[in-house]
Amino acid sequence: MLVHLQGSWSPALGRLCMKQLAFLHVPILEYTFAVVALLGLAAVGAVTYFGKWKYLWREWLTTVDHKRIGIMYIIIGLVMLLRGFADAVMIRLQQDMAIGPHSPGYMGAVHGYLTPFHIGQIFSAHGMIMIVFAATPLLVGLMNIIVPIQIGARDMAYPYLNALGLWLTGGGAALVMLSLFIGNFAHGGWYGFLPYFELPYSPGVGVDYWMWAFQLSAIGTSLGSINLIATIVKMRAPGMTWMRLPIFTWASLSTNLIALTSFPVLMVALALVGMDRYLGTHFYTAGMGGNLMLYNDLFWIWGHPEVYFLILPAFGIMSEIIPTFSEKTLFGYATMVIASFAIGGVSWGVWLHHFFTMAAAPSVNSFYSITTMLVGIPTGVKIFNWIFTMYRGRVRFELPMMWALLALSLLIVGGMTGMMNAFASNDYMWHNGIFVVAHFHMMVLVIASSIFGAVEYWFPKLFGFKLEQKWGKWFFWFMVLGTGFVFVPMFILGLAGMTRRLDYIPYTAWGPYLHLEMVGIGLYGAALLFFLAHLYVSLRDRESRRVGADAWGTGRSVEWMTHSPVPSYNFALIPHINARDEWAWRKDNGLTELHPGDYEPIHMPKNTGVPLVLGAFFFTLAFGLTWRIWWLTALSTAAIVIMIIVRSFDTDTDMTIPPNEVERTEKRRSDRASDFIATGVPPYAGGPVGTATAYQRLPEPAGGTGASSGGRL
Amino acid sequence: MSAHSTAVDPKSASLWARHYPGHDVIGTRTFGFWLYMLTDAMVYAALFASLVVLSHASNMVGGPAPSEFINPRVAYEETIALFASVLTYGLAMVSLKKGSRRGVTGWILLSALLGLVYLGLSVADNVNLFQHGITPQTNGFLSAFFAIIIYHAVHIVVGVAWMLVMLLQIAKEGFSQNVVYRLINLRLFWHFQAVIWVFVFVFVYLQGVVL
Amino acid sequence: MKNSWKKVRHGATLLAVGALGLFLSGCSARGIYLMHPEGAISKTSFHYFLLDVGIMLLIIVPTTLLAIWATMRYRKGGHGAYQPQWSHSTAIEIVVWGIPLITVGVLSYLSVKAIYAVNPYNPEVIAKAEKKAGSTPLEVDVIATDWRWLFVYPQQHIATTNQLVVPRGIPVRFRLTSTSVVNDFIIPQLVGMIDVMPGMRTKQALIADHRGNYLGFSADYSGAGLSWMHFNTHVVGKRKFQAWVSSIQKTPQSLSYKGFNRFARPYIPVGQKTQPIFGHVKPGLFDFVVREVMRGKTWNTPMNMTENMVAYLKKQSKLQKEGYY
Repeated sequence: MLVHLQGSWSPALGRLCMKQLAFLHVPILEYTFAVVALLGLAAVGAVTYFGKWKYLWREWLTTVDHKRIGIMYIIIGLVMLLRGFADAVMIRLQQDMAIGPHSPGYMGAVHGYLTPFHIGQIFSAHGMIMIVFAATPLLVGLMNIIVPIQIGARDMAYPYLNALGLWLTGGGAALVMLSLFIGNFAHGGWYGFLPYFELPYSPGVGVDYWMWAFQLSAIGTSLGSINLIATIVKMRAPGMTWMRLPIFTWASLSTNLIALTSFPVLMVALALVGMDRYLGTHFYTAGMGGNLMLYNDLFWIWGHPEVYFLILPAFGIMSEIIPTFSEKTLFGYATMVIASFAIGGVSWGVWLHHFFTMAAAPSVNSFYSITTMLVGIPTGVKIFNWIFTMYRGRVRFELPMMWALLALSLLIVGGMTGMMNAFASNDYMWHNGIFVVAHFHMMVLVIASSIFGAVEYWFPKLFGFKLEQKWGKWFFWFMVLGTGFVFVPMFILGLAGMTRRLDYIPYTAWGPYLHLEMVGIGLYGAALLFFLAHLYVSLRDRESRRVGADAWGTGRSVEWMTHSPVPSYNFALIPHINARDEWAWRKDNGLTELHPGDYEPIHMPKNTGVPLVLGAFFFTLAFGLTWRIWWLTALSTAAIVIMIIVRSFDTDTDMTIPPNEVERTEKRRSDRASDFIATGVPPYAGGPVGTATAYQRLPEPAGGTGASSGGRL
Repeated sequence: MSAHSTAVDPKSASLWARHYPGHDVIGTRTFGFWLYMLTDAMVYAALFASLVVLSHASNMVGGPAPSEFINPRVAYEETIALFASVLTYGLAMVSLKKGSRRGVTGWILLSALLGLVYLGLSVADNVNLFQHGITPQTNGFLSAFFAIIIYHAVHIVVGVAWMLVMLLQIAKEGFSQNVVYRLINLRLFWHFQAVIWVFVFVFVYLQGVVL
Repeated sequence: MKNSWKKVRHGATLLAVGALGLFLSGCSARGIYLMHPEGAISKTSFHYFLLDVGIMLLIIVPTTLLAIWATMRYRKGGHGAYQPQWSHSTAIEIVVWGIPLITVGVLSYLSVKAIYAVNPYNPEVIAKAEKKAGSTPLEVDVIATDWRWLFVYPQQHIATTNQLVVPRGIPVRFRLTSTSVVNDFIIPQLVGMIDVMPGMRTKQALIADHRGNYLGFSADYSGAGLSWMHFNTHVVGKRKFQAWVSSIQKTPQSLSYKGFNRFARPYIPVGQKTQPIFGHVKPGLFDFVVREVMRGKTWNTPMNMTENMVAYLKKQSKLQKEGYY
């Protein structure tokens, strides 16, 4: 052993022993474990009962279809979002209880119900999960689904790699969840503190869990970004020049360029933590020639671009939704593209503002203060462009648009408070404070609102029916209320000077605000229930909300030119692109026929279980490393290498869909769509049949063959 | 200005790309590999930046000064072996253009051997350092020093293993599309690590002599 | 030109104060520490804060109104004219790039000015005051341990724990270091944050304007005891400060290098009314700590230390009785 380890170690189980099975002796975890175990059993039982194992394996677990991979990313994201929310509730409850020296303590805590050991893990897990395992998979999932359809491709450039990226992210998420029950998680914040994360100060396995889960997701996301960039550059349909690229695809390109160049730096930052902890090197130690500031630099060189990696697709989503529901062209397309890349570019030169208080020279802080404020310029331009998109339009307040407008208003608040943080002398006063926390929660709520908007917006594209509106609106308004109640007091507490990550608040004067935040959490909880009702009612009554290709009636880009739900090959014939908003252009010119006929054979990649198994081995590798079970580590590494080599000998990776099968699929979809026209069920509940669009001036084409959506436009 | 002004005349517009040949597989695969190399270059950039940060006198406590143990002569020999290997791999690609299976196999075998020579030299040098108590655990500077050298050596191991796998695949499949794009990517990889080695040689070995 | 600029500044400040006043009038002002600065540094920061907020509100408020107007006027069935192809206007583009550009330009200028004014290593406001008064500043060495603050007064050879006493109106210059992990030193009403790092030395300075008690704490996460790592800053008159110093100097307890190694062991000061004070401190303690940490000295924390906090505190008080600390 190169390092001194506290606690026991054995060759067979590494650091793992009975005492580490936290769910057996920590009261809260006993219940959590029971619930999770029951839910897991119920899921397994249900799949077995309905005989769906084969379906699950064949259609989902082994799939390389970018849409299904995207949906699984989103499912991982939503599950982890729930977990992250549960963590948030626990943090808020603790800060609501532990105010002042006279507040009582429970379950081993002096005040409140969580000891520093536990709340440390909770806030670390909350941050890490929300950023890395909720927001990232949700956005990667959306890009995965939408980008290939928007550029008229049949799949991603590397479908196999795409699946691998998914299962690596899944492995990382599983590792974080496992840390809940076996051992413990890092208790020093999601971005890690050095030298606090060195062995002398974090002797447990928590940091190792954190590090390896992070590493897995970093590798997964890097693979994903390579894939998306290659897809956008190489797989565009003929005629799709750069200036005809849909705006969301532009956003995806800029965001993945950021990911591609920044994630490797994160891998290095984490790998060096690992080397310090496993090999006893001195990269970040306080003594022995280490440099703890090196970690901060490396981490935030990734960390800040990562923030824009999350926000740029959100901006892309807003730029898609707002024109559709303003029934109008996006204002300033070129400006939007330039602004996206400007944000991406500046994101590389601002990282030092994450440690303004580290006593850098005033000239250095001045430089980074100014570069940080520069971000405000393209962001401001984007806000103005969205406003001018609505100007001279016809704004419809449907759910996707409501979410986009919420995102816009939160962006104004978040942007202004961000500019306040960039003003370094302000930052000196509240750097590690709640004000910063409230600011970046505003920004992640911009992302969350966009994601909810995107889910509402593109859901009918993927599943062929719209989500209902009533519960969705309850959900929306309770999210708005919750946000107000949680974050307005939080901003005030920030100005009060309250700092982050406290498990005990010594000053009773802050009590009322913390109680108000708890009310907000209650509203968020209610919103969650409304969300579930929203999903349930939508699924139950799906037959009444079936839609055709152009689900909202005013779709503009290429994805609205194929059936809803999208067939596995996306387009029976690859579309030829003639205009920037191709579908809007076609509608303008009466070219809405979606059944060109004369189908050709389609080459598609074959399903494969290799990515799933590789993901599983990466998981066991990370688990083995976390607990220092060397045999498991060696075995998993060998298995991974062998599997990659063996797979490279496999030549049977593609298949061909014959034309008659394509025709059958196409026909089935069009029949299904025309059923609703025949029965008179409106295409969606929000308006009359054949909603008036910007393109109404054209005579409706006669029914019959074209009817999937053309008939109703 | 209308958003559609760039659009073509709707009357003559082609709406569907019939008989679309699909995307160029080799081009797409090599493009992705370029992107991968960009990520790897960023890993190296971060490592080199760490080395620079950890190159002050305060980072060398408890260990010898770099000029006392860094041996640019060994590094020079390693350079020769590595560049010879790159050259032979280039010759393999020339044979590939001619479609000569024997030529490709022979040159790749030689490249792999030269890669192994490099590895042998590198291992011998580092084992020698370890025996003199100069290890990554000594201080921050040495941690970064060894991190770069070992990370580069891992690339050589991967490259050599890849060459051996390619030899098997050539024997099995001949010059199929898969084999060809992998040979091209391997060429990119092998050149890439040689380019990185130039940086290692300059910023680790030559710089180390004057530190 | 200069005059009109002043007017803008004045207007911006008024606007900011108004908005903040509205924002805060509903709630009790008690405990909103950053809005009640009591020292030279914090007052300067607050001044720039108001300017910053004011100028931004000049942009943000009209933008918000524009957004609301556009959504309402151009809603479906509203009165706005419908022009679906309208997507470009050079004039508007110039304005939407120009406004943020100018704003950021002005704010950048102010930000740089503010950074130099409150630069922790040599704040202009303090340097000016020192020059004017001609007084030598009081020096305080701050050593953060896990999880207590040790304040060493090298000129007076005394040290206090979790209690900082400074005279009113006299510049205080801090040198800061940590024994184990990174902490962040702040007294919200007097001075902003500065990182306190192991093996390194950072600096900070302040002048307190009024007598009183101000809370200070560690802002960066440093482990289990973080929430209890706060201290009281007692600002007293000059004469009272001298009296306090001589009273401390009479304390028999002294702090040697060896004693410090014991003192720096992980200790959570939960509910501790009194903390050790030292009537004599071995000179050069601060440099000793920096040097030791650079050599690799660590004060390790035990595994799963506060899994049960109550049990841990019992253990800690037992150890304390046995003289472990």
